Formats: sequence, C-alpha cells, structure tokens
Amino acid sequence: MNPTTLHAHSEGILIYRSGESVLGGVPIKEEIWIEKYRPTSLDEIVGQPEIVRRLKSYVATRNLPHLLFSGPPGVGKTAAAISIVREIFGENWRDNFIELNASDERGIDVVRTKVKDFARMAPLGGAEFKVIFLDEADALTSDAQSALRRTMERYSATCRFILSCNYSSKIIEPIQSRCAVYRFRALTPEAIEKRIRYIAEQEGVEVTEDGIEAINYVARGDMRKAINALQAAALISDKVDMNTVYQITSMARPEQIRNLIKLAISGDFAGARSELDDLLLVQGLSGQDVVVQIHREMLDLDVPDADKARMINRIGEIDFRITEGANERIQLEALIAYMALTGLSKSTAT
Amino acid sequence: MVSWAEKYRPRSLDGILGNAKAVAELRAWARAWEEGRPEVKCLILYGPPGVGKTSAALALASEMDWDYIELNASDQRTAEIIKSIAGPASQVSTFSGRRRLVILDEADNLHGTYDRGGAAAILKVIKDATQPVVLIANEYYEIEKPLRDACRGVQFRSIRAQTIASLLREICRSEGIDCDPEAIMHIAEMSGGDLRSAINDLEAAARGLKRLRLEDIATSERDVKASIFKVLESIFKGESARSALEATYQLDESPEDLIHWIDENLPVVYSDRDLVKGFECLSRADIFLGRVRRRQNYTLWRYATFLMTGGVRAVSSRVRRGYTQFRPPSLWKRLGQTRKARSVRDSAARKIAAHCHVSTSYARSELLNFVGALLNSKKIGATVAASLGLNIDEIALLTGSAPSTKKVQRLFEDAQRMIEAEQIAMIDRGLKVEERKTESPEEQAAKETSKDMSQEKRQRSLFDF
Ligand SMILES: Nc1ncnc2c1ncn2[C@@H]1O[C@H](COP(=O)(O)OP(=O)(O)O)[C@@H](O)[C@H]1O
Ligand SMILES: [Mg+2]
Repeated sequence: MNPTTLHAHSEGILIYRSGESVLGGVPIKEEIWIEKYRPTSLDEIVGQPEIVRRLKSYVATRNLPHLLFSGPPGVGKTAAAISIVREIFGENWRDNFIELNASDERGIDVVRTKVKDFARMAPLGGAEFKVIFLDEADALTSDAQSALRRTMERYSATCRFILSCNYSSKIIEPIQSRCAVYRFRALTPEAIEKRIRYIAEQEGVEVTEDGIEAINYVARGDMRKAINALQAAALISDKVDMNTVYQITSMARPEQIRNLIKLAISGDFAGARSELDDLLLVQGLSGQDVVVQIHREMLDLDVPDADKARMINRIGEIDFRITEGANERIQLEALIAYMALTGLSKSTAT
Repeated sequence: MVSWAEKYRPRSLDGILGNAKAVAELRAWARAWEEGRPEVKCLILYGPPGVGKTSAALALASEMDWDYIELNASDQRTAEIIKSIAGPASQVSTFSGRRRLVILDEADNLHGTYDRGGAAAILKVIKDATQPVVLIANEYYEIEKPLRDACRGVQFRSIRAQTIASLLREICRSEGIDCDPEAIMHIAEMSGGDLRSAINDLEAAARGLKRLRLEDIATSERDVKASIFKVLESIFKGESARSALEATYQLDESPEDLIHWIDENLPVVYSDRDLVKGFECLSRADIFLGRVRRRQNYTLWRYATFLMTGGVRAVSSRVRRGYTQFRPPSLWKRLGQTRKARSVRDSAARKIAAHCHVSTSYARSELLNFVGALLNSKKIGATVAASLGLNIDEIALLTGSAPSTKKVQRLFEDAQRMIEAEQIAMIDRGLKVEERKTESPEEQAAKETSKDMSQEKRQRSLFDF
C-alpha cells in the first residue's frame, strides 16, 4: 500500500473500487450533501445544457483544449471540470488530475512549482495528457497570470489547463485567447428545484412548495447554497418548508454585521470597532468578507438614499484599497468612522 | 559567538530542570533498550516550546553513550527523505556497535498532502526500527493517531518562574554579572515558563554588562514608550503639522508600527468630524504602507509618515490641551489572545476547503457555521468529523463547546474509530488492487478500453468523493 494515501480521507481523494471489505474495514460515508451529490458525470449537471453539450463533444474525441470557466460561485464550474476529466480518463482519473486553488496558494511561485512537479511526470495509464484545474484563477495578479501563461505554454504538450474564475474580464487577454471560454450563468429557479427535489427524494426528505421557494430565495442561483440550505433545514425537520429554511438562514451571521453598522451610525466608534475586531480576529473573517457583508446589509438600511449612495461609494473605495494590499483593519475603521457622518448630518439637520 | 541558550544547554539529564517525571521515564526506557527489550521503540516528547524536550533527548544520548541523528521532520518535507535517512539510521547500528538514537523534531508540524506521507513514513520507520526513536512535538493531539498508538507519550510541562530564576542566577554567576534578584525574577516571570526565551531575554539585557538592575530592564521598556508618547503628544496636541512630523525623527519605530499607536489613540482624542477626517488620513497613509509592502519601495514611507502624523494633526478643528493617557495598541494584545483560536479556525477551514473543493477563505466565511451544525447532529456528526479529519480543538470550535466536554471527546473518539476502520478498508483496497493485477493482461486491456462508462460509474458509488 502506498503510505501517502493513508490519511487521504481528509483530502477527499479516496476511491473505493469495490464496496466489500476483506478485513472488516469500513470506508467513511460521505454525509456532506454538496459532496455526496457532486455530479460524477456531465449528465448530472443541471441548468447548463449548452455548455454540457459542447463539453461532451470533447469527451467523444478524448481530447481537450485549455478551458476557461467563468461564472458566479456554486453553478457547476468545478463540477464540470471534474466530470469531464472523469469521463475522459475513466476510473483512474485521479492519476492524471490535480486541483489547485489560486487564492490558497502563497503566490504564483507555489502554483508554478506544483504545476511543474505534476507536469514533469508523464501521463499515467496510457493517457495522452494530464489536466490541471486551477480554481479562482482571477485571484492572481496580472503579473502572476503572465507567469502562468508561460507555464501553460511550457507544458502544453502534456498538460491541459482548466481555469475557473468569477469574472473572465479579470483574466488577461493572452490567457483568454488560448482557452475555450465557457460562461456559466447563475442557475434558474427551475434548475435548482430539479436538483433539490432529486436530493430530497434520495434522502427521504419532504420539501413543500414554499420550502423550494425559500431555498431559491436564499440561494440566488447558487446550487451550493441551495443544497446547504436543504441539508441544514433537514437537520431540524423531515419536512422542509418556508419556516424551517428561514429559521436556518437567520442563524447565519448578519446579526453581528447589522449591529456593527448600527453602532457605527450612532457614532459609537469604540463599540463598532470592538465588533469589527471580533469578526476579524476571533471569527477569522477576511476584511473583504466584512466589506461584502456590510454592503449586502446597506441596501436594507433605514437611512436616506443620498446617505446610502455615499456610503456605498465609500465601501467600494475601501474594497478596492484592500484588494490593492492596504491594511484591512485600518481601512474598515475609516469606514466605520465615516458611517457616523450619516448620524451626524441627521443631528445637525434637526 | 554561541548564544547563551546554546552555551547553557544541559549536557546531562540531571541538568534538565523541572521535569523530573519525564526524565525518569526517559531513563527507564533507555535502560530497557540496553537490556534489549523496550516496551515501545519510540517515545513522543511533547510540551510547550523552550522547556527542554530536545535537550533531554540529546542529554539522554550522551548519558547512555549512544550516537544520535537529529532530523527536523517539518523541514524534510517529503516522505522520501524521512525514509532514506531515518529509515536506515534506525535499523543499522554504527561501526562501533553503539546504539543510535533517532530524533525527529517538530513531528506535529506535518500538514498537507506531502506531510501526510511524512506521517506514514515515520510510522513505517518506527515499525521497522531496531534503534531507539524519539519524536518531539508541541501538541500531542496534532500527531496522527496511528503514530501516537505506536509510541508512548512523555509530557514536558512549562517551568515554574522560581526554577527559571535559579538557572538565570547560575548563568549570571558564570558570566560574572552582578544581577539584582528583582531583575532576574522579572525576566523569569515574563517568560511564561519558556526557559529558552528567558535565557534569550537575559542575554539581550545583560550581555556586556557588569551589573544588571531592574531599572535597566524596566527603563529599556519605558524608553520606547516615552518617545512614542512624545510623538503622540505632538500629533494630537502639538503646534503644527510640521512639528508632528518632526517628532518622529527621534523615534526608533517603523511607520508600520507607529500607525497602530496612532490608530489606537485617535478615537481617544478625536471625535465626530475630526475622527472621520483623522481616519481618512490614516487610511490614506495605510495605502502607501501597502504599496511599500507590495513593491518594497521604501521611499514611499515618507508620504505615509507625513499623512499619519502631520496629516492627522492638520485635520483637527481645534487646538487640544490637557493630559491624555495614551495607550499601547490593543490590537497586539488581542492578536496574542486570539492567536490560538484563529489558527484552529484556519486549520479547520483548510480541511473543509480541501474536502469541498472551495478556497480556504470561502470555507472560513461561508461553511464553518454550516459544518458546525452538521457536527452537532447526533446522526451524522461523527461521520462528518471523520471525513474531514478534524482534531479535538477544531471540533470544539465548530460545535461551540469546550474541548474537555464529553460531547466533543465522544465525537472525536467515534470519528477516530471510523478513520481506523477506513484505514483497514484501505489495506483491503490494496489487496483488491493486487488481486486485480492477477487478471490476465487481455482482460485488463479489455477493461481499460471499455467505453461503457455509465455502467462503471454506477458501480463506483457515493464514496467516490
Ligand atoms: N449545474 C449544477 N448541476 C448540479 N449540481 C450542481 C450544479 N452546480 C453546482 N452544483 C452542486 O453544488 C456544488 C458546488 O458546485 P461547484 O461545481 O463546486 O460550483 P462552482 O461553480 O463554484 O465550482 C456541487 O457539489 C454540486 O453538488
Ligand atoms: Mg469551484
């Protein structure tokens, strides 16, 4: 037995070719539904018929160009990448496939080293090429993308790249032009309903009509969110309806963000900062997470539209600065202080 | 020039302070080796940093007159190296016929795919060893369970301040330094039981001196504060933007540190619109700091420094007088207090990310609560913990219960059992693969070219991911 796979379960790369056991061993069951019901073939991918049809033509020829998948989270980009690789390589697909996340790797050098190490060895099992799936490629700076482009070139004889990103515009032109670009769209409520009903049936969970509606409302076209909502709701009750869905979504975090905003607007800087520190330091959110959540709450906020517009403008500025490498805590503090202006102008007006 | 920490490293087990029980266990184990029948081939010395684990291992070798080889498990990233060095070293004895102690330091720092291989490789080394092996770690439970099972744990505890002080006195005597007892006690108490850092602190304060007094230590701490406070005075209450800037010329702090001092005290002094404008300046200063960090172009620091000092001074709508009690950045304290929680959160997020094909930051912000809810479910909690390979701290954090609670312990143990059962299943799978190879080549070829993939897929079941 190869010792490097001994603890592979936590990497999720176990493959059981056969269900039974000789020594009485038992594989660990997959109980996280987004993984349990991750599509294993292109046919299982819902709501992206045009993309699926074109991807299937590659399977027929058993060859692949470089691919670029763009689109919002949870719409099947990773699922499509894995499905197509499985269909082309068959049972031992893992041998010729590696998955990297650009936003996790420390810099382009790490990405390149990993790519190089993987690409150096010839494809296994008589395959023609290997596939490198680089998720969140738009997390790379444009310099890093240029370096990536050179790497793609160097190994193009033996490797195909599948890049995925949220926005294709964030991928440099020379890479785009070397890839077949596929634009994934947010899933329609019908597509989500289809998959959710299928999973619910497999799991023996009853979902009401308004339950589906609520799941769709929460998910906003993101299947991962939809499935997570279904599973979380099913933990509470075998019958998933609107109430159970809203019950579980309110346990998510916005409460604290809302409180932070309230304190900030009321001019309680110290209080708001203490909430901020809790989010950043204790809960471990990134500055960008906090910015995004503040923005999300902004729309529902009970302040004059002019103030809203001013604040959203400022939020965008802070978001940009953080992307450019500024210190997230100091930038967010500046935002908190700025939000007090709304309160200030109100009190001077009256 | 050797550091004092190295110079005064104990040469014998008797010199290991404050861990008599651990030392006794080490000796008993070594004696069993000499008699040819140790109960376990490997000990795990675990405990906080700087309390003498490595020293004890080295001292043991010297006391027993054994050779030794020391490997840093987390440096030698690949399983190959551990196998190729530690393997032979632990099996073959030396020409002199002496025993060889194999020391693997930082055995709990094995993370990620390569190092998973590392853990398995170490396990193999131990199984095959004919020579004594010692693993050294900070966190016992960070070591993989099968590895723990193959060894015996020996706990090292942090060292009492009194004990540390006695060693510091010893060092001062042999360095010919006259040292106030209060100064010694101060250093000992600040060290938090970490002997190495205490010796380092003593060296930093006392090297080259004839006499070390409490004031020397305290003033060096106080000096820093005094000059920072002066800068803060001129920023918040000084004459002008210019004098605020000039005050920093005397300061021995980088703008990277200074900005946190200003950040901490800005809301103490300014309010309302001044506060908004003050933070606007500070956040602009921070943009320049960010550019320096990215491009290493230190000339940009001058703009950052002006904005955070003169700029902040300039936006004040009035002159301020009177006394303000400035305070050091609370951020640093909170970072210290929350470090452990953050690192547990990060490692949990990494495991979830790898399992669910998302980035660590997505897992951290979107999936932690959800996984917490799954773990709290009686029906599937343990299975989820097992499939993610969570440790006790991670389970505790995600479920929102203390690590010592029955619930967390039970979840962890149940998960551990499942992981073991799965490892057996993996061995099964190894056998299966062997069997498969015994098929005739034609049969195999036929299988490989089989295009009927949907058939195969159904067979491959849910465990596939
Ligand atoms: N189009 C889809 N059809 C079926 N399942 C999907 C689809 N999109 C997403 N999913 C489900 O949501 C989860 C996340 O999908 P994934 O492909 O990882 O999304 P992303 O687009 O972010 O890469 C998968 O495990 C899968 O179960
Ligand atoms: Mg993805």
